[in-house]
Amino acid sequence: MLYGTYLTLNHFDSVGAGLKIPYHLPPISILKPLKGVDEGLEENLVSFFELEYPDFELIFSVGDSSDPVCDLVRDLIGSYPNIRARIITEAVQIGMNPKVNNLVHSYNEALFDWLLISDSNVRVEKRYLKRLTAQIRPDVGLITSVVSGHSPQGVGGYLEAIYLNTFYARGMFLAERFHRTAAIGKSMLFRRSTANRFGGIQILARYLAEDYMAGEAMVRLGLKVIIAADPICQYIGQYSFRDFWMRHLRWGRIRKAQVPLAFLIEPVVGSVVSFLFGCWSLGFLFGISPLFVMIFHFSVWGASDLLIQKRLKAELGPRWLGCWILRELLALPLWISIAMGSTVTWRGREFTLETGGILR
Amino acid sequence: MILADMHIHSNFSDGKLSIPELVDLYGSRGFGAIAITDHLCEENTLIGKAARYIGHTLTQATFPLYMQILKSETERAWDQYGMVLIPGFELSKNSVSNHRSAHILGLGISDFINADDDIITLAGKIKAQGGVVIAAHPVSTQKVEKQTYHLWDRREELAHVFDAWEVASGPYLFDEVLHSSLPKIASSDLHSPKQMTSWKTLLYCELHREAILDAVRNQNLEFHFYKSEVTSNDLRNGLDVYSMVGVAGSHALRHVLNSESL
Repeated sequence: MLYGTYLTLNHFDSVGAGLKIPYHLPPISILKPLKGVDEGLEENLVSFFELEYPDFELIFSVGDSSDPVCDLVRDLIGSYPNIRARIITEAVQIGMNPKVNNLVHSYNEALFDWLLISDSNVRVEKRYLKRLTAQIRPDVGLITSVVSGHSPQGVGGYLEAIYLNTFYARGMFLAERFHRTAAIGKSMLFRRSTANRFGGIQILARYLAEDYMAGEAMVRLGLKVIIAADPICQYIGQYSFRDFWMRHLRWGRIRKAQVPLAFLIEPVVGSVVSFLFGCWSLGFLFGISPLFVMIFHFSVWGASDLLIQKRLKAELGPRWLGCWILRELLALPLWISIAMGSTVTWRGREFTLETGGILR
Repeated sequence: MILADMHIHSNFSDGKLSIPELVDLYGSRGFGAIAITDHLCEENTLIGKAARYIGHTLTQATFPLYMQILKSETERAWDQYGMVLIPGFELSKNSVSNHRSAHILGLGISDFINADDDIITLAGKIKAQGGVVIAAHPVSTQKVEKQTYHLWDRREELAHVFDAWEVASGPYLFDEVLHSSLPKIASSDLHSPKQMTSWKTLLYCELHREAILDAVRNQNLEFHFYKSEVTSNDLRNGLDVYSMVGVAGSHALRHVLNSESL
């Protein structure tokens, strides 16, 4: 945990601080898969229209032309006539992954070789794209970003934000440090010509975690997957407890299918199980009071999580402490629940995951 | 005459290099043909499951990516180096006992095969895809590693199943195989660049995939001990050149193959 915290803090200090924007910035096609009008969507999309970048296009991929999000996007395109933007409302059925099905046409029709796949719930700063492309190197196949959860509402929203801003952020840097793939689909910058060497985005339609497999494919090509200098902001908004639980059940089952060894040790690196181990061993070996161990252990853990949250510029509301304790207590029951099944529900559809992340 | 290495592992299983790096490693040294043969372990055994957990085997999930990368690299290998790249795998049946362990190379394959089937069925499935079936390191490799004696123990019964038996794996010749009447092939079983110095095979055929596979089937070949040289390309790529056996000379080894041939 401490090492993961160190890696996280060190990344933003060293990589972020020393970043120089190059004179030549490659043109980029930004692909945005959309479905429905979620809370905060308009503000999220506006942040992309207002990017400060010399040459980019926005392609909005909507699977169903009657989706109300089309009207919102058309209005925005009309409001920003100087931005090259279009909407593609034609999904293809090449696999079980609806996001990939939705993106295939946009992937093929994008004007530029550099593609940024960016989820609908991401909100960025104006210099985001400049700082992202500053990290392009010949040995890098894919640049992904850590997500910082913002504007949570409700218990589920807070739990979601805390999960993103602590467990997931730390886990991404640990994965990168130990040469495991840390790509997440909320922000993936790569070259289409490179992706075509492993079959393009189309081949990823058979997997639920298309982002993880894209990263894996880059690594198999001998290229690196790196984490961007800046976190991206995910607008969370109103979340029920059930939303939070089902989402992390899905993510957890994907991790179990894709990286079963890492999933197996997750409880041991969680705060509650490691406390129980520490409590028993320190008491047995040195006779240290369990109360002392508990206060010390959770103080260090909580301070570490707070540090990461502050570095991610995440908002810390008054409900943070209570929700943080709840999240830590829920980690083990959630893990057990993940371990006991292999089905996931995503946007109303149920899928069965096989080892390796193939969808059935 | 084509210098070939038909047993090479990439980072899709337990090899150190990616497929593009392997293409550059062999292509820059003048090889005419190579086969990438990553492990494909059984799904229903404990050892097979462990291999899957640590990512040391092809799986149904990674196989499509593997074949796509092989496809794109086949084109690049030909365009850039005039080298033929053959897709393959090493069906790996591992047991605690060396005498119950067997590795079977399939060259020229196109589809995933479940390694849990019996050996004769597996060989039949490889041949049904137009592939060549090779018994990999059937006797002691003289290294501290997992040994696979099952095929050699059953060589009389299985002789008709295999197109060739490996007579060398790395720098060691297998006397038992060499002095047998079985069809043979010599390969490096390369997992890292420092294993380049090893026995390879010279094929007498035209430079295209079907002719190469036929040359193995028809035994139009001989064995050649290849000493790796250090190139500036290795240094640029950060390959582990210090443990290579360095010899001076041209990298166009396809034309200087008079050192040690059997």
